[in-house]
Amino acid sequence: MNDLESTDRQMSEEVKETTYWKSLNELANNKEYQKYAEREFTENATELNDGVSRRGFLRVMGASVALAGLAACRRPVQKILPYSKQPEDIVPGIPLYYATAMPVQGNLVGLIAENHEGRPTKLEGNDMHPASRGGTSIYNQAAILGLYDPDRSQSPLYNGNKSTVADFEAFAKSHFANTGQRIAFISEANSSPTYQTIKEQALSKFNNSTWVTYEPFGEDNVVEGNRIAFGGRLRTHYNLENADVIVSLNDDFMSSTHPNNVEYAKQVSSRRKVTDTDGEMNRIYSVEDSFSLTGSYADHRLKLKASQMEAFTYALAAALSTRINGLSAFSSYTNEFTDHKWITALADDLAANAGSSALTAGAQHKPEVHAAVAAINQALGNTGSTVHYLDVPHIDEQSSTEAFADVVAEMKAGNIDTVVMVGVNPVHTAPADLDFENALSNVDTVVDLSDYVDETSKKAAWHVNRAHFLEAWGDGYSYGGARSVIQPQIRPLHEGLSEIEFLNTIVSGSMTAGYDLVRDTFQGYYRSGFDTRWTNILHDGIDTTGNFNQVNVRLSSGFASAMNRAKSNVSSTTGMEVVIRPDATLYDGRYANLGWLQELPDPMTKVTWDNVALMSPATAKSLGVEEAGAGQDDYDVVEITVNGRSINIVAWVQPGHVDDAITLTAGYGREGIGRVASSYIDYTAGGVDVYPLRGTDNMLFASANVSTTGDTYEIACVQDHHSLEGRDMYRQAPISEYKKNPDFASFASVHTYEVPGMEAAEEMGEDQPISLFNEQTYPDYEPQWGMAIDLNSCFGCGVCVIACQSENNIPVIGKKEVKQGREMHWIRNDRYYVGDDAESPQAVHQPVPCMHCELAPCEQVCPVAATTHSEDGMNQMTYNRCIGTRYCANNCPYKVRRFNFFNYPKEYLTTGDDPDIIQMAMNPEVTVRFRGVMEKCTYCAQRVNRAKIEAKKETGSPKPADGAVKTACQQACPADAIYFGDLTDDNSEVAQMKRNERNFQMLEELNTRPRTSYMAKLTNPNPALA
Amino acid sequence: MAQIFPKWTNQVPRKILIGLIVVLNAVIFGVWYFFSPQYTDVGYAPEQPVPYSHKIHVDQLGLDCQYCHTSAFDSKQANIPATQTCMNCHNQVQVKNPDNVALILDSWETGKALEWVRVHNLPDYAYFNHSAHTNVGVGCESCHGRIDKMEVVYQSEPLSMGWCLDCHREPEKYVRPVDEVTTMGYKVENQLEIGKALVDKKNIHAPTYCQGCHY
Repeated sequence: MNDLESTDRQMSEEVKETTYWKSLNELANNKEYQKYAEREFTENATELNDGVSRRGFLRVMGASVALAGLAACRRPVQKILPYSKQPEDIVPGIPLYYATAMPVQGNLVGLIAENHEGRPTKLEGNDMHPASRGGTSIYNQAAILGLYDPDRSQSPLYNGNKSTVADFEAFAKSHFANTGQRIAFISEANSSPTYQTIKEQALSKFNNSTWVTYEPFGEDNVVEGNRIAFGGRLRTHYNLENADVIVSLNDDFMSSTHPNNVEYAKQVSSRRKVTDTDGEMNRIYSVEDSFSLTGSYADHRLKLKASQMEAFTYALAAALSTRINGLSAFSSYTNEFTDHKWITALADDLAANAGSSALTAGAQHKPEVHAAVAAINQALGNTGSTVHYLDVPHIDEQSSTEAFADVVAEMKAGNIDTVVMVGVNPVHTAPADLDFENALSNVDTVVDLSDYVDETSKKAAWHVNRAHFLEAWGDGYSYGGARSVIQPQIRPLHEGLSEIEFLNTIVSGSMTAGYDLVRDTFQGYYRSGFDTRWTNILHDGIDTTGNFNQVNVRLSSGFASAMNRAKSNVSSTTGMEVVIRPDATLYDGRYANLGWLQELPDPMTKVTWDNVALMSPATAKSLGVEEAGAGQDDYDVVEITVNGRSINIVAWVQPGHVDDAITLTAGYGREGIGRVASSYIDYTAGGVDVYPLRGTDNMLFASANVSTTGDTYEIACVQDHHSLEGRDMYRQAPISEYKKNPDFASFASVHTYEVPGMEAAEEMGEDQPISLFNEQTYPDYEPQWGMAIDLNSCFGCGVCVIACQSENNIPVIGKKEVKQGREMHWIRNDRYYVGDDAESPQAVHQPVPCMHCELAPCEQVCPVAATTHSEDGMNQMTYNRCIGTRYCANNCPYKVRRFNFFNYPKEYLTTGDDPDIIQMAMNPEVTVRFRGVMEKCTYCAQRVNRAKIEAKKETGSPKPADGAVKTACQQACPADAIYFGDLTDDNSEVAQMKRNERNFQMLEELNTRPRTSYMAKLTNPNPALA
Repeated sequence: MAQIFPKWTNQVPRKILIGLIVVLNAVIFGVWYFFSPQYTDVGYAPEQPVPYSHKIHVDQLGLDCQYCHTSAFDSKQANIPATQTCMNCHNQVQVKNPDNVALILDSWETGKALEWVRVHNLPDYAYFNHSAHTNVGVGCESCHGRIDKMEVVYQSEPLSMGWCLDCHREPEKYVRPVDEVTTMGYKVENQLEIGKALVDKKNIHAPTYCQGCHY
């Protein structure tokens, strides 16, 4: 068409010709896929598929319901229980918000807990806390479920029998009276100053004791690398707000698996927010083996095996040594990457942005790589601006990996009398070649503190149940050194001990409350004005003093020789390489029993409830792995053998994965810690335990033998669910295109014709295309709600999904139901691969909540008017009217409606011996929906209504101020990708975003007039690499 | 041909039809009335753990609603008072009376809550916010009736959705000045005139869209 070149509004050829696909089947668009995607609900969606048909089920249930019905004619008696002595601040019905913090691997993320009369129901980020700044990670949001998990350990166990805390106290007093015995303390990473104090006391009281910190995916290698480079075991802390160029060497710092991901995500995305054509963006490069979130967010991505990262880093250092000073250790060094296009481009870009660039490497890579990275940052002058080094008190002087191996060797030799384990699970997570379980059996007394009765607790003589951070007093530091107090929100549900109480009982022989222990520590910090400062830290959630020391670093004299040794000792693998990573949703397995996280689709693979072995399409072909057809769930199982140990796991094709390598994620395949970890609703266990493949010499990657087994296994993957089948849903362009052509994202630009009906409407003086339906007019006194989602900020972490699940009482449905496409998440994160090349696509993410269309197709077809339009512009869902026709879901072009097929909440809320516990996690302000009722995103109507009432009381107008009401997804997002507010307020953020040229509506040609719109993504490619 | 059916069977179809119509109407009316909240809920007067009499405390002693139900203007619940509130007077008044005050003392001393039986209850899918109503001038007695005349609290209004909508559609018929909200027995001649003025002044737009109460 010749129009393409004529007007300014046309997009350039290559930008328009992109294809977006969610799975390889969609890309192939074979007959099978088309047939699968045709149906709204999968075949037999309404059938209960385990032997009883729905008709049969109803026949049986119908009878008992009829009999029960008459008895229920009497109105049920409800009781009101007021307080006997009411606490001062509590107003029944108004939740209170308290600041607290969540420790993950020792680093605190500041949170605000919404507390309904002594029961916390929701966690939000704390604006004032640097590691949160209002955002949260998926682990923070799901922590509330961890508190109310019915499978949590509920009492101390002595040799497997229920015991009491008093008994444990007595035991501790008598057993630890012998202070000369050989004790090994194996602890989690913990930044709490109170904990460190008690640790010192323990080490001095027990003169034959050793203390080891063990984390399966810790920061030890980074710290060791800094020691090689600078002479001190320091933590690397980035300030990515100052970085114009970021190069990530296999470091997925935006994923929840990174300890400081919320802060980094906020910093990085803040440099990519562009509101007009004068805006600038940072540039991100990612060199990685698997497809990571950071890789999908980056402007450029290079596939490289994990084992090759080391050589790549040294080549980069060598290339930089010719451009800047300070890297003489690498001058005249060459290897296979020296002439690589990327090395030249990266070196040029980094050097051009010296002082405002940042290089980072994945924490699991060997220390020498981190030393080189640190030296490069130092030479570029980034130290002090985009990166600085912190002296962290709780990081030991000795390498944890070595120390742990030493202790296990001692245990094996029978040289340890007592082992005390705090918050670790080495029987499950320790490197397989150490044979920890065997070593543990040579120890006389084993004492363990953990949340669940896990693999290690089962081998311990004494297991003490741990108090959740929401139930216990504690303290600690954030990743960057901000000090907080952890404030409990509820009495310990199962009378557990926090780690400070536990350790203190062992050291002193008697129980002291955590509150007193923490206060003691802070009496030491606040020598004057204690009461005011204590109240302040509890109120703010953060104490502005007490940061870690920033160390001024200089390249150490031993650096060059260390690098010489490293250069001649570069690791490599032969044949197929296997890489073991922490899982994006379960981390190292500690969250395996949280249903929300198991059911959250993995951000890149969209697999739920299982882990899989990721490999590229070419590798899969070479191994003889068959591709599963669309709608089929059976996937080939392969056997992976490393150093003589094997596992059988499903092979999964991951477009964009590097060839001849396989990525495995840890944390699955756990048995016996709880119903969810073993997939209680379904018949197959949750995933495969990959820790057996991990040994001390191959903590990150190893050579492996891989072969198909001929078995298959069912995987519940949601990537093809709710598919828009290739329609126009996503728009993006390089920033250069945006500057030339600001309207690139408009409908006319993309499609070369105007929205159907628009021209006729414009002739009539209307600003919206004409419609056959009656258009609703909205009164002036009501606010009009709208949402804009910035695709330039979203990197697909999924915290919006978990926050919505927490806020809106969304049930977990289990693997079998997910396979049928019935997942209940109101907001979903679609991940699209872009381009025609399945081996090296781009990947983008799009969160899709309800569009709240002004001319909603769902409203038109409901036979009982259960879904209608409110006066403030929202599409409302009235659960009690719904009769379950499901026509609305059928008619929704965006596929945002969810149907409760089998009373999932009842199943989910009444499992186990104590059903009341998990019900405590429910938000009382949102209806829990019953079977046969449709539900969907409500723009958090409960929050909106609450804000409107408050505004009405205070100002007389029901329009809240901008920012007074935030939806759960908006509040949780660390990248601030979601804007929500009142469109009648021209100055509100959301109104401004909607006026932006990048704003577009999904499927605009259908004239549904969605209130949720998107802002097109911009990329910042390097012309040298294009 | 022989007559198979006797003559009276000629009337049977007509009688069945009329009978059916009558029965159907009776059933429908029966369900409509006897299953409506007007019949099933109005008059519900459960027995409470403590024989607390609003008549004595409000009518005789003159306590205002807000003395005990403190959060009616602040929160969605107008709370039942804590035992602490009762003890304000009853640590001295009628302390020895075994039938009533002793039960309160028990709760106060042991810290156990008194288990009041809820009288006014809405289904779980309907959300009601007291403060939104009290702050614009909906009187306590409009929904709860003449509490000051009740020895035992009973539900005096059906609290059905239709009943709520009667006011939501025409608030001027029911609103009163905010400082008269807790008055029992409020009556004015020119309710519509005053009501209209109050609706304007307080910017009352009572929601009649579903999400106002169902979310």
